[in-house]
Amino acid sequence: MFITFALITLLGALGMLLQKNVVVAGLCMVAAFFGVAGLFVLLANPVAAALQIIVYTGAIMVLVLFVIMMLNSHEEEAGAARPVQRWLSLALIAVLAFAAVKLVLASAGLNALAVKGAEMPQAMTLQKVGTTLFADHLLGFEVAGLVLLAAMIGAVALTKRNL
Amino acid sequence: MDKLASLLHTSPAIAWMVAKLVIVFAGVFSLAAVWTWVERRGSAMIQDRIGPNRAALFGKIKIIGLAQPLADGIKFFFKEDLVPHDANKGLFWLAPFLALVPALMGFAVIPFGRSFVSGGQEYHLALLDPGNGMGLLYPLAIGGMAVYGVLVAAWSSNNKWSILGGMRSSAAMVSYEIGMSLAVVALFMRAGGYDPSEIITAQGGTLWKVLPNWNIFHQPLGFIVFFTCMFAETNRLPFDFAEGESEIVAGFNTEYGSMKFSLLALSEYCHLMTASALMATLYFGGWQVPFVQDPSVMLSVLSFLVKMLFFAWVFVWIRWTLPRFRYDQLMHLGWKAMLPMSMVNLVFHAWRMSQGH
Repeated sequence: MFITFALITLLGALGMLLQKNVVVAGLCMVAAFFGVAGLFVLLANPVAAALQIIVYTGAIMVLVLFVIMMLNSHEEEAGAARPVQRWLSLALIAVLAFAAVKLVLASAGLNALAVKGAEMPQAMTLQKVGTTLFADHLLGFEVAGLVLLAAMIGAVALTKRNL
Repeated sequence: MDKLASLLHTSPAIAWMVAKLVIVFAGVFSLAAVWTWVERRGSAMIQDRIGPNRAALFGKIKIIGLAQPLADGIKFFFKEDLVPHDANKGLFWLAPFLALVPALMGFAVIPFGRSFVSGGQEYHLALLDPGNGMGLLYPLAIGGMAVYGVLVAAWSSNNKWSILGGMRSSAAMVSYEIGMSLAVVALFMRAGGYDPSEIITAQGGTLWKVLPNWNIFHQPLGFIVFFTCMFAETNRLPFDFAEGESEIVAGFNTEYGSMKFSLLALSEYCHLMTASALMATLYFGGWQVPFVQDPSVMLSVLSFLVKMLFFAWVFVWIRWTLPRFRYDQLMHLGWKAMLPMSMVNLVFHAWRMSQGH
């Protein structure tokens, strides 16, 4: 199961990068997010999986709509990237991947797993998410709300110059 | 079930899982096929016509034209399978499946009868057992996926009518999703849980001794919003902007023919079934039978089916009664009526709950 979802995620991400056609690339992105949702289910967190699909399908939908409306998507993108950019991005990816793997391997949770062995985790529920949000992370929650409100007002102000 | 499982050399749980898969998917699929006939007969009834009544099995058995879906299916298989010259071939093939799979998957979480115990094993009448942690977030998520079928079909056809239909319907679906989700959140608050089985259990018993304790009597405003949003989500008249026959030929499926068209059409009816099942579960007590304390399993399944098919009929009824909205009217209704209404509904019920405790 893990291999299946991991493959879906990776192939989706690769397809998104390599596809010249923007709409197809958007669909590959959906596939990648779908794979990530599957991985969340395997991690006993179905709530995150459901939210992942609800939030990102809607978001990518809007993105794809904008692409169709604003760009002439039948014309494929021309112009090759400069070699410097390519090498620089490859180096950056290598550094990022190395750091991520190192972080995971050095994390306390993984060490505990090696000592205690895996135990069946309790599945996440919406109730738990709610209590955690409002009890432990109240400040972060409020800040996120404020940021979203600011973004909303900004969007309205940008599109409607004369209210 | 035990005997069957031992015959097949599996455990009862696995045998039951397979049985449920077949019941749910085959059931929804065949109901959807039958509903194409119901729609045609229903429209004929409403418009004072006769409708399809000629199709007969072996040229003899007519049963008021009930063989029509079968004949349609055979016809669709033998039609020429055309792909337009400038279409995006891969996506053009993929689109019917992208439309059909979410439509069928949405039903998986809905309990169509009460759970029962047999031979020390508990059997749940829903594909995903209660307590799976996804609960009613699952149909919302799958409903979000449904937009892609329409949009991919529209875009890959490389046809101006198609793209118009696809854009209109996807914009409508995205904007109605918010109002719908907020209406459902108010139900979560009342039931104190988000699993369909919890929501159904919370609707047992009676209200003031005369009404069944259904959510519709607690949150009528929420029901109106949810009901309207379901029409937008299933792309049915009065909101069928994906097709809009009188304006944009046949909208997103203009270029589709043969079995691919039939899959697109069937997926609409599968959506209709899932939407009716959701309405029955959320607002009309699911498998609960009014004024019966502990219904038997068969009675509960029957009760659910009656409610679901009633709403499926309402979809047909409204399609042939109301004219199509204009597109800007749809957007106004979605953002300026449905969204505020469902927000008012949510805040009002939150306030009432805070007073009650």
